[in-house]
Amino acid sequence: MPRVTVTVRDQGGRTASAAADYALAPPVWGGYYLAGNADPTTDLVGGNFRSLTQYRSLADAYVFPGYGMSWLRDLGRAGVAPNMVLELKHYGAGSPGAQTFTVDGVTWTVPAPAMTIQQRPGTTWPRAYGYGQVLAGQCDGLLARALSQYRTLGFPVNLQLASELDTDHEFGTTESGVSFTWAESDARAVQALTYVVNWLRARGLPAGTTFSVGAGGFDRAAFRRTHPEALMSRVDFLQWNVYATDPAHTALSRFRRTRDWAVADLGPVALSRPVIIAEWGVQVSAFPDQAAWIATVPAALARLNAERGPRIVRANYFNSGWGTLTPKPAGLAALRAAYATRPFG
Amino acid sequence: MAAPTVTASLDASTYAPGEPMTLTVGYADPDTRPVTVTIVLTDPDGNSSAPVRVTAVIDPLGVEVADDSGRAWTMVSDTGTTAVYRAVA
Repeated sequence: MPRVTVTVRDQGGRTASAAADYALAPPVWGGYYLAGNADPTTDLVGGNFRSLTQYRSLADAYVFPGYGMSWLRDLGRAGVAPNMVLELKHYGAGSPGAQTFTVDGVTWTVPAPAMTIQQRPGTTWPRAYGYGQVLAGQCDGLLARALSQYRTLGFPVNLQLASELDTDHEFGTTESGVSFTWAESDARAVQALTYVVNWLRARGLPAGTTFSVGAGGFDRAAFRRTHPEALMSRVDFLQWNVYATDPAHTALSRFRRTRDWAVADLGPVALSRPVIIAEWGVQVSAFPDQAAWIATVPAALARLNAERGPRIVRANYFNSGWGTLTPKPAGLAALRAAYATRPFG
Repeated sequence: MAAPTVTASLDASTYAPGEPMTLTVGYADPDTRPVTVTIVLTDPDGNSSAPVRVTAVIDPLGVEVADDSGRAWTMVSDTGTTAVYRAVA
Protein backbone atom coordinates (compact mmCIF):
# COMPACT_ATOMS: atom_id res chain seq x y z
CA MET A 1 0.00 0.00 0.00
CA PRO A 2 1.57 3.33 -1.00
CA ARG A 3 2.27 5.83 1.74
CA VAL A 4 2.81 9.57 1.63
CA THR A 5 4.93 10.97 4.45
CA VAL A 6 5.04 14.63 5.45
CA THR A 7 7.98 15.96 7.46
CA VAL A 8 8.27 19.41 8.93
CA ARG A 9 11.60 20.74 10.13
CA ASP A 10 12.29 23.83 12.15
CA GLN A 11 15.49 25.92 12.07
CA GLY A 12 16.93 23.95 14.99
CA GLY A 13 16.64 20.72 13.04
CA ARG A 14 13.76 19.36 15.09
CA THR A 15 11.34 17.38 12.94
CA ALA A 16 7.88 15.88 13.09
CA SER A 17 6.36 13.46 10.62
CA ALA A 18 2.91 12.23 9.69
CA ALA A 19 1.92 9.60 7.15
CA ALA A 20 -1.18 8.68 5.21
CA ASP A 21 -1.67 5.35 3.45
CA TYR A 22 -3.74 4.93 0.32
CA ALA A 23 -4.68 2.23 -2.12
CA LEU A 24 -4.99 2.22 -5.86
CA ALA A 25 -7.89 0.29 -7.27
CA PRO A 26 -8.92 -0.37 -10.84
CA PRO A 27 -11.97 1.43 -12.19
CA VAL A 28 -15.41 0.15 -11.28
CA TRP A 29 -16.81 -2.02 -14.05
CA GLY A 30 -20.06 -0.82 -15.50
CA GLY A 31 -22.28 -3.56 -16.85
CA TYR A 32 -25.64 -4.41 -18.29
CA TYR A 33 -28.52 -6.83 -18.49
CA LEU A 34 -31.07 -6.90 -21.28
CA ALA A 35 -34.60 -8.19 -20.68
CA GLY A 36 -35.16 -11.86 -21.32
CA ASN A 37 -31.43 -12.75 -21.19
CA ALA A 38 -31.46 -11.32 -24.73
CA ASP A 39 -28.42 -10.62 -26.87
CA PRO A 40 -27.24 -7.16 -25.72
CA THR A 41 -24.39 -6.84 -28.20
CA THR A 42 -25.98 -3.96 -30.14
CA ASP A 43 -26.64 -2.00 -26.96
CA LEU A 44 -23.06 -2.44 -25.75
CA VAL A 45 -21.37 -1.10 -28.88
CA GLY A 46 -19.35 2.03 -28.23
CA GLY A 47 -19.85 1.97 -24.48
CA ASN A 48 -17.46 1.11 -21.68
CA PHE A 49 -19.44 -2.01 -20.71
CA ARG A 50 -17.24 -4.43 -18.79
CA SER A 51 -19.71 -6.89 -17.30
CA LEU A 52 -22.97 -8.65 -18.11
CA THR A 53 -25.50 -10.34 -15.87
CA GLN A 54 -27.12 -13.55 -17.12
CA TYR A 55 -29.64 -15.90 -15.53
CA ARG A 56 -29.59 -19.67 -15.86
CA SER A 57 -31.58 -22.45 -14.28
CA LEU A 58 -29.57 -25.50 -13.35
CA ALA A 59 -32.61 -27.44 -14.61
CA ASP A 60 -31.90 -26.38 -18.19
CA ALA A 61 -29.94 -28.60 -20.52
CA TYR A 62 -27.90 -25.64 -21.84
CA VAL A 63 -26.46 -23.68 -18.92
CA PHE A 64 -23.25 -22.42 -20.58
CA PRO A 65 -23.36 -20.39 -22.70
CA GLY A 66 -27.11 -20.97 -22.86
CA TYR A 67 -29.25 -22.29 -25.68
CA GLY A 68 -28.54 -20.36 -28.88
CA MET A 69 -26.47 -17.81 -27.00
CA SER A 70 -23.25 -18.02 -28.97
CA TRP A 71 -23.04 -14.24 -28.57
CA LEU A 72 -22.21 -14.74 -24.89
CA ARG A 73 -19.12 -16.63 -25.95
CA ASP A 74 -18.18 -13.76 -28.28
CA LEU A 75 -18.74 -11.11 -25.62
CA GLY A 76 -16.78 -13.08 -23.06
CA ARG A 77 -13.86 -13.49 -25.40
CA ALA A 78 -14.03 -9.75 -26.10
CA GLY A 79 -13.51 -9.14 -22.38
CA VAL A 80 -17.03 -8.59 -21.08
CA ALA A 81 -17.05 -10.38 -17.72
CA PRO A 82 -20.22 -12.40 -17.15
CA ASN A 83 -21.95 -12.54 -13.81
CA MET A 84 -23.75 -15.85 -14.25
CA VAL A 85 -26.67 -16.24 -11.89
CA LEU A 86 -27.16 -19.97 -11.35
CA GLU A 87 -30.51 -20.84 -9.88
CA LEU A 88 -32.00 -23.96 -8.34
CA LYS A 89 -35.28 -22.41 -9.49
CA HIS A 90 -37.00 -24.18 -12.37
CA TYR A 91 -38.02 -21.64 -15.00
CA GLY A 92 -40.73 -23.80 -16.53
CA ALA A 93 -44.43 -23.84 -15.70
CA GLY A 94 -46.43 -26.75 -14.38
CA SER A 95 -44.86 -29.70 -12.62
CA PRO A 96 -41.49 -30.55 -14.14
CA GLY A 97 -40.46 -34.15 -13.77
CA ALA A 98 -37.26 -36.06 -13.24
CA GLN A 99 -34.57 -35.90 -15.91
CA THR A 100 -31.92 -38.33 -17.04
CA PHE A 101 -28.91 -37.20 -19.05
CA THR A 102 -25.31 -38.12 -19.75
CA VAL A 103 -22.35 -35.87 -18.94
CA ASP A 104 -18.87 -36.87 -20.07
CA GLY A 105 -19.91 -40.50 -20.26
CA VAL A 106 -21.65 -40.57 -16.89
CA THR A 107 -25.43 -40.96 -16.78
CA TRP A 108 -27.24 -38.99 -14.11
CA THR A 109 -30.86 -39.08 -13.01
CA VAL A 110 -32.09 -36.06 -11.13
CA PRO A 111 -35.51 -36.19 -9.46
CA ALA A 112 -38.22 -33.59 -9.98
CA PRO A 113 -37.68 -30.32 -8.12
CA ALA A 114 -39.35 -30.72 -4.73
CA MET A 115 -39.40 -27.16 -3.35
CA THR A 116 -41.55 -24.10 -3.91
CA ILE A 117 -40.16 -20.60 -3.46
CA GLN A 118 -41.41 -17.01 -3.84
CA GLN A 119 -44.64 -18.07 -2.10
CA ARG A 120 -46.31 -14.69 -2.40
CA PRO A 121 -50.03 -15.09 -1.65
CA GLY A 122 -52.21 -15.05 -4.74
CA THR A 123 -49.40 -15.99 -7.12
CA THR A 124 -48.24 -19.24 -8.65
CA TRP A 125 -45.28 -20.44 -6.63
CA PRO A 126 -42.26 -21.38 -8.75
CA ARG A 127 -40.65 -24.76 -8.30
CA ALA A 128 -37.01 -25.20 -7.39
CA TYR A 129 -34.67 -27.99 -6.49
CA GLY A 130 -34.86 -28.26 -2.71
CA TYR A 131 -32.04 -27.47 -0.34
CA GLY A 132 -32.59 -30.94 1.12
CA GLN A 133 -32.28 -32.44 -2.36
CA VAL A 134 -28.99 -30.61 -2.87
CA LEU A 135 -27.59 -31.77 0.46
CA ALA A 136 -28.68 -35.35 -0.31
CA GLY A 137 -26.61 -35.25 -3.50
CA GLN A 138 -29.67 -35.57 -5.72
CA CYS A 139 -28.67 -32.50 -7.74
CA ASP A 140 -25.04 -33.48 -8.34
CA GLY A 141 -25.90 -34.31 -11.95
CA LEU A 142 -27.09 -30.76 -12.51
CA LEU A 143 -23.81 -29.44 -11.15
CA ALA A 144 -21.81 -31.88 -13.25
CA ARG A 145 -23.65 -30.82 -16.40
CA ALA A 146 -23.15 -27.11 -15.72
CA LEU A 147 -19.49 -27.62 -14.88
CA SER A 148 -18.82 -29.67 -18.00
CA GLN A 149 -20.33 -26.95 -20.19
CA TYR A 150 -18.56 -24.19 -18.29
CA ARG A 151 -15.19 -25.85 -18.89
CA THR A 152 -15.69 -25.46 -22.64
CA LEU A 153 -16.63 -21.78 -22.42
CA GLY A 154 -13.09 -20.49 -22.64
CA PHE A 155 -13.19 -17.70 -20.05
CA PRO A 156 -13.95 -17.44 -16.35
CA VAL A 157 -17.18 -16.11 -14.92
CA ASN A 158 -18.55 -15.16 -11.54
CA LEU A 159 -21.02 -17.80 -10.42
CA GLN A 160 -23.74 -16.06 -8.44
CA LEU A 161 -25.61 -18.80 -6.61
CA ALA A 162 -29.31 -17.85 -6.52
CA SER A 163 -30.72 -14.62 -7.84
CA GLU A 164 -32.20 -13.16 -4.66
CA LEU A 165 -32.46 -15.47 -1.65
CA ASP A 166 -34.55 -12.86 0.15
CA THR A 167 -37.09 -12.75 -2.68
CA ASP A 168 -37.10 -16.56 -2.83
CA HIS A 169 -37.69 -16.94 0.93
CA GLU A 170 -39.70 -13.85 1.87
CA PHE A 171 -42.95 -15.83 2.21
CA GLY A 172 -41.31 -19.06 3.33
CA THR A 173 -40.54 -22.17 1.33
CA THR A 174 -41.95 -25.69 1.17
CA GLU A 175 -39.96 -28.81 0.37
CA SER A 176 -41.63 -32.21 0.01
CA GLY A 177 -44.66 -30.99 1.93
CA VAL A 178 -42.70 -29.45 4.82
CA SER A 179 -42.99 -25.71 5.34
CA PHE A 180 -40.08 -23.54 6.39
CA THR A 181 -40.11 -19.95 7.61
CA TRP A 182 -38.02 -17.22 5.98
CA ALA A 183 -35.28 -17.64 8.58
CA GLU A 184 -35.35 -21.43 8.34
CA SER A 185 -35.16 -21.22 4.56
CA ASP A 186 -32.13 -18.92 4.84
CA ALA A 187 -30.34 -21.39 7.10
CA ARG A 188 -31.10 -24.27 4.75
CA ALA A 189 -29.94 -22.25 1.74
CA VAL A 190 -26.63 -21.45 3.43
CA GLN A 191 -26.03 -25.18 3.89
CA ALA A 192 -27.03 -26.02 0.33
CA LEU A 193 -24.99 -23.23 -1.27
CA THR A 194 -21.97 -24.23 0.80
CA TYR A 195 -22.44 -27.72 -0.60
CA VAL A 196 -22.62 -26.40 -4.16
CA VAL A 197 -19.51 -24.21 -3.82
CA ASN A 198 -17.53 -27.03 -2.24
CA TRP A 199 -18.72 -29.54 -4.84
CA LEU A 200 -17.67 -27.32 -7.74
CA ARG A 201 -14.39 -26.21 -6.19
CA ALA A 202 -13.42 -29.80 -5.43
CA ARG A 203 -13.76 -30.76 -9.11
CA GLY A 204 -11.59 -28.08 -10.60
CA LEU A 205 -12.87 -24.87 -12.05
CA PRO A 206 -11.47 -22.70 -14.85
CA ALA A 207 -8.83 -20.32 -13.51
CA GLY A 208 -10.35 -17.03 -12.46
CA THR A 209 -13.71 -18.49 -11.45
CA THR A 210 -15.33 -16.61 -8.60
CA PHE A 211 -18.47 -17.05 -6.51
CA SER A 212 -21.06 -14.91 -4.83
CA VAL A 213 -24.36 -15.52 -3.05
CA GLY A 214 -27.43 -13.85 -4.57
CA ALA A 215 -29.41 -11.35 -2.54
CA GLY A 216 -31.81 -8.55 -3.33
CA GLY A 217 -30.48 -6.91 -0.21
CA PHE A 218 -33.81 -5.41 0.86
CA ASP A 219 -33.99 -7.10 4.27
CA ARG A 220 -31.29 -6.52 6.85
CA ALA A 221 -31.87 -9.65 8.95
CA ALA A 222 -32.02 -11.92 5.91
CA PHE A 223 -28.84 -10.39 4.52
CA ARG A 224 -27.07 -11.11 7.79
CA ARG A 225 -28.41 -14.67 7.97
CA THR A 226 -27.31 -15.52 4.43
CA HIS A 227 -23.75 -14.15 4.86
CA PRO A 228 -22.15 -16.16 7.67
CA GLU A 229 -18.38 -16.08 7.81
CA ALA A 230 -18.00 -19.80 7.01
CA LEU A 231 -19.79 -19.38 3.71
CA MET A 232 -18.14 -16.03 3.01
CA SER A 233 -14.75 -17.70 3.32
CA ARG A 234 -15.76 -19.87 0.33
CA VAL A 235 -16.90 -17.03 -1.95
CA ASP A 236 -15.19 -14.05 -3.54
CA PHE A 237 -17.74 -11.25 -3.72
CA LEU A 238 -20.59 -9.73 -1.82
CA GLN A 239 -23.61 -8.98 -3.98
CA TRP A 240 -26.87 -7.09 -3.79
CA ASN A 241 -29.24 -5.28 -6.11
CA VAL A 242 -30.15 -1.59 -6.20
CA TYR A 243 -33.36 0.03 -7.41
CA ALA A 244 -34.77 3.55 -7.27
CA THR A 245 -38.54 3.12 -7.16
CA ASP A 246 -39.58 6.22 -5.22
CA PRO A 247 -38.97 9.88 -6.13
CA ALA A 248 -37.16 10.28 -2.80
CA HIS A 249 -34.55 7.66 -3.69
CA THR A 250 -31.11 9.07 -4.44
CA ALA A 251 -28.37 6.99 -6.01
CA LEU A 252 -26.25 7.45 -2.90
CA SER A 253 -29.03 6.30 -0.55
CA ARG A 254 -29.94 3.28 -2.65
CA PHE A 255 -26.43 1.99 -3.28
CA ARG A 256 -25.62 2.67 0.38
CA ARG A 257 -28.52 0.88 2.04
CA THR A 258 -27.36 -2.74 1.98
CA ARG A 259 -23.74 -1.64 2.24
CA ASP A 260 -24.39 0.05 5.56
CA TRP A 261 -26.13 -3.07 6.90
CA ALA A 262 -23.20 -5.19 5.76
CA VAL A 263 -20.65 -2.91 7.43
CA ALA A 264 -22.64 -2.97 10.67
CA ASP A 265 -23.58 -6.66 10.73
CA LEU A 266 -21.12 -8.83 8.82
CA GLY A 267 -17.80 -10.27 9.89
CA PRO A 268 -14.31 -9.42 8.70
CA VAL A 269 -14.18 -12.15 6.04
CA ALA A 270 -17.40 -10.96 4.43
CA LEU A 271 -16.26 -7.35 4.56
CA SER A 272 -12.97 -8.22 2.88
CA ARG A 273 -14.94 -9.16 -0.24
CA PRO A 274 -15.61 -6.56 -2.97
CA VAL A 275 -19.16 -6.06 -4.16
CA ILE A 276 -20.93 -6.91 -7.39
CA ILE A 277 -24.17 -5.06 -8.01
CA ALA A 278 -25.79 -7.67 -10.26
CA GLU A 279 -28.75 -5.40 -10.99
CA TRP A 280 -29.30 -1.70 -10.63
CA GLY A 281 -32.07 0.33 -12.11
CA VAL A 282 -34.25 3.40 -11.92
CA GLN A 283 -37.99 3.06 -12.38
CA VAL A 284 -39.32 5.42 -15.03
CA SER A 285 -42.65 5.87 -13.22
CA ALA A 286 -40.80 7.28 -10.21
CA PHE A 287 -38.18 9.13 -12.28
CA PRO A 288 -39.47 10.16 -15.73
CA ASP A 289 -35.97 11.50 -16.42
CA GLN A 290 -34.06 8.27 -15.86
CA ALA A 291 -30.97 9.78 -17.49
CA ALA A 292 -30.70 12.45 -14.79
CA TRP A 293 -30.70 9.82 -12.05
CA ILE A 294 -28.22 7.63 -13.90
CA ALA A 295 -25.89 10.63 -14.17
CA THR A 296 -25.65 10.78 -10.37
CA VAL A 297 -24.44 7.20 -10.00
CA PRO A 298 -20.69 7.70 -10.65
CA ALA A 299 -20.33 10.30 -7.90
CA ALA A 300 -22.37 8.14 -5.51
CA LEU A 301 -20.13 5.12 -6.10
CA ALA A 302 -16.97 7.22 -5.82
CA ARG A 303 -18.14 8.51 -2.47
CA LEU A 304 -19.13 5.07 -1.15
CA ASN A 305 -15.88 3.53 -2.29
CA ALA A 306 -13.96 6.23 -0.43
CA GLU A 307 -15.64 5.17 2.81
CA ARG A 308 -14.59 2.36 5.12
CA GLY A 309 -16.14 -0.91 4.04
CA PRO A 310 -16.38 -3.21 1.04
CA ARG A 311 -15.68 -1.65 -2.32
CA ILE A 312 -18.25 -1.81 -5.11
CA VAL A 313 -16.35 -3.11 -8.15
CA ARG A 314 -19.10 -3.92 -10.65
CA ALA A 315 -22.53 -2.47 -11.27
CA ASN A 316 -24.71 -3.95 -14.02
CA TYR A 317 -27.71 -1.92 -15.19
CA PHE A 318 -30.90 -3.98 -15.32
CA ASN A 319 -32.67 -2.92 -18.52
CA SER A 320 -35.78 -4.93 -17.70
CA GLY A 321 -38.63 -4.85 -15.19
CA TRP A 322 -38.23 -1.91 -12.78
CA GLY A 323 -35.14 -0.73 -14.62
CA THR A 324 -36.53 -0.72 -18.16
CA LEU A 325 -35.01 2.24 -20.00
CA THR A 326 -37.83 4.35 -21.45
CA PRO A 327 -37.09 5.80 -23.94
CA LYS A 328 -34.27 3.38 -24.52
CA PRO A 329 -31.93 5.64 -26.58
CA ALA A 330 -31.81 8.35 -23.90
CA GLY A 331 -31.28 5.79 -21.16
CA LEU A 332 -28.52 4.02 -23.02
CA ALA A 333 -26.81 7.34 -23.77
CA ALA A 334 -26.91 8.19 -20.06
CA LEU A 335 -25.48 4.79 -19.22
CA ARG A 336 -22.66 5.23 -21.70
CA ALA A 337 -21.89 8.67 -20.29
CA ALA A 338 -21.92 7.35 -16.71
CA TYR A 339 -19.62 4.46 -17.55
CA ALA A 340 -17.17 6.92 -19.11
CA THR A 341 -17.05 8.88 -15.84
CA ARG A 342 -14.86 8.12 -12.82
CA PRO A 343 -14.93 5.82 -10.94
CA PHE A 344 -16.10 3.83 -13.98
CA GLY A 345 -13.97 5.53 -16.60
CA MET B 1 12.91 25.79 21.23
CA ALA B 2 9.88 23.55 20.89
CA ALA B 3 9.29 20.69 18.51
CA PRO B 4 6.99 21.18 15.53
CA THR B 5 3.78 19.23 14.95
CA VAL B 6 2.25 17.97 11.74
CA THR B 7 -0.83 16.13 10.49
CA ALA B 8 -1.47 14.63 7.07
CA SER B 9 -4.80 13.59 5.58
CA LEU B 10 -5.85 12.37 2.16
CA ASP B 11 -9.27 13.05 0.66
CA ALA B 12 -9.86 9.31 0.11
CA SER B 13 -8.37 5.99 1.11
CA THR B 14 -8.62 4.39 -2.34
CA TYR B 15 -8.14 5.97 -5.74
CA ALA B 16 -8.67 4.86 -9.30
CA PRO B 17 -5.76 5.33 -11.67
CA GLY B 18 -5.76 8.86 -13.04
CA GLU B 19 -7.93 10.21 -10.26
CA PRO B 20 -6.85 13.49 -8.58
CA MET B 21 -5.57 13.09 -5.04
CA THR B 22 -5.53 15.85 -2.45
CA LEU B 23 -3.28 15.85 0.61
CA THR B 24 -3.92 18.37 3.36
CA VAL B 25 -1.05 19.08 5.74
CA GLY B 26 -1.61 20.89 9.02
CA TYR B 27 1.55 22.08 10.73
CA ALA B 28 2.63 24.31 13.58
CA ASP B 29 5.50 25.12 15.93
CA PRO B 30 5.07 27.08 19.15
CA ASP B 31 8.29 28.95 18.34
CA THR B 32 7.21 30.05 14.94
CA ARG B 33 6.34 33.74 15.17
CA PRO B 34 5.79 36.32 12.54
CA VAL B 35 7.53 39.57 13.46
CA THR B 36 7.42 42.95 11.88
CA VAL B 37 10.38 45.38 12.20
CA THR B 38 9.63 49.00 11.54
CA ILE B 39 12.57 51.26 10.65
CA VAL B 40 12.56 55.02 10.78
CA LEU B 41 15.76 56.97 9.97
CA THR B 42 16.24 60.24 11.80
CA ASP B 43 19.05 62.74 10.99
CA PRO B 44 20.74 65.11 13.49
CA ASP B 45 18.35 67.88 12.45
CA GLY B 46 15.41 65.83 13.52
CA ASN B 47 14.16 64.97 10.08
CA SER B 48 12.60 61.48 9.94
CA SER B 49 12.12 59.24 7.02
CA ALA B 50 8.84 57.57 6.30
CA PRO B 51 8.63 54.30 8.25
CA VAL B 52 9.64 51.16 6.42
CA ARG B 53 8.26 47.82 7.55
CA VAL B 54 10.08 44.53 7.18
CA THR B 55 8.45 41.22 8.09
CA ALA B 56 10.26 38.08 9.12
CA VAL B 57 9.42 34.69 10.64
CA ILE B 58 11.25 33.40 13.68
CA ASP B 59 12.02 29.67 13.41
CA PRO B 60 10.12 29.05 10.18
CA LEU B 61 9.17 25.46 9.30
CA GLY B 62 10.13 23.62 6.16
CA VAL B 63 7.65 21.06 4.83
CA GLU B 64 8.70 18.02 2.82
CA VAL B 65 6.39 15.49 1.20
CA ALA B 66 7.68 12.05 0.23
CA ASP B 67 5.76 9.24 -1.44
CA ASP B 68 7.17 5.73 -1.28
CA SER B 69 5.54 4.85 -4.61
CA GLY B 70 7.39 7.71 -6.32
CA ARG B 71 4.23 9.73 -6.95
CA ALA B 72 4.94 13.45 -7.41
CA TRP B 73 3.09 15.81 -5.07
CA THR B 74 2.74 19.48 -6.01
CA MET B 75 1.91 22.22 -3.53
CA VAL B 76 -1.13 24.21 -4.57
CA SER B 77 -1.52 26.43 -1.49
CA ASP B 78 0.13 27.17 1.84
CA THR B 79 -1.26 29.45 4.55
CA GLY B 80 1.63 28.90 6.92
CA THR B 81 -0.40 26.46 8.97
CA THR B 82 -2.22 24.48 6.28
CA ALA B 83 -0.66 23.34 3.03
CA VAL B 84 -2.51 21.53 0.27
CA TYR B 85 -0.78 19.22 -2.19
CA ARG B 86 -2.08 17.47 -5.28
CA ALA B 87 -1.05 14.32 -7.11
CA VAL B 88 -2.53 12.03 -9.72
CA ALA B 89 -3.29 8.44 -8.79
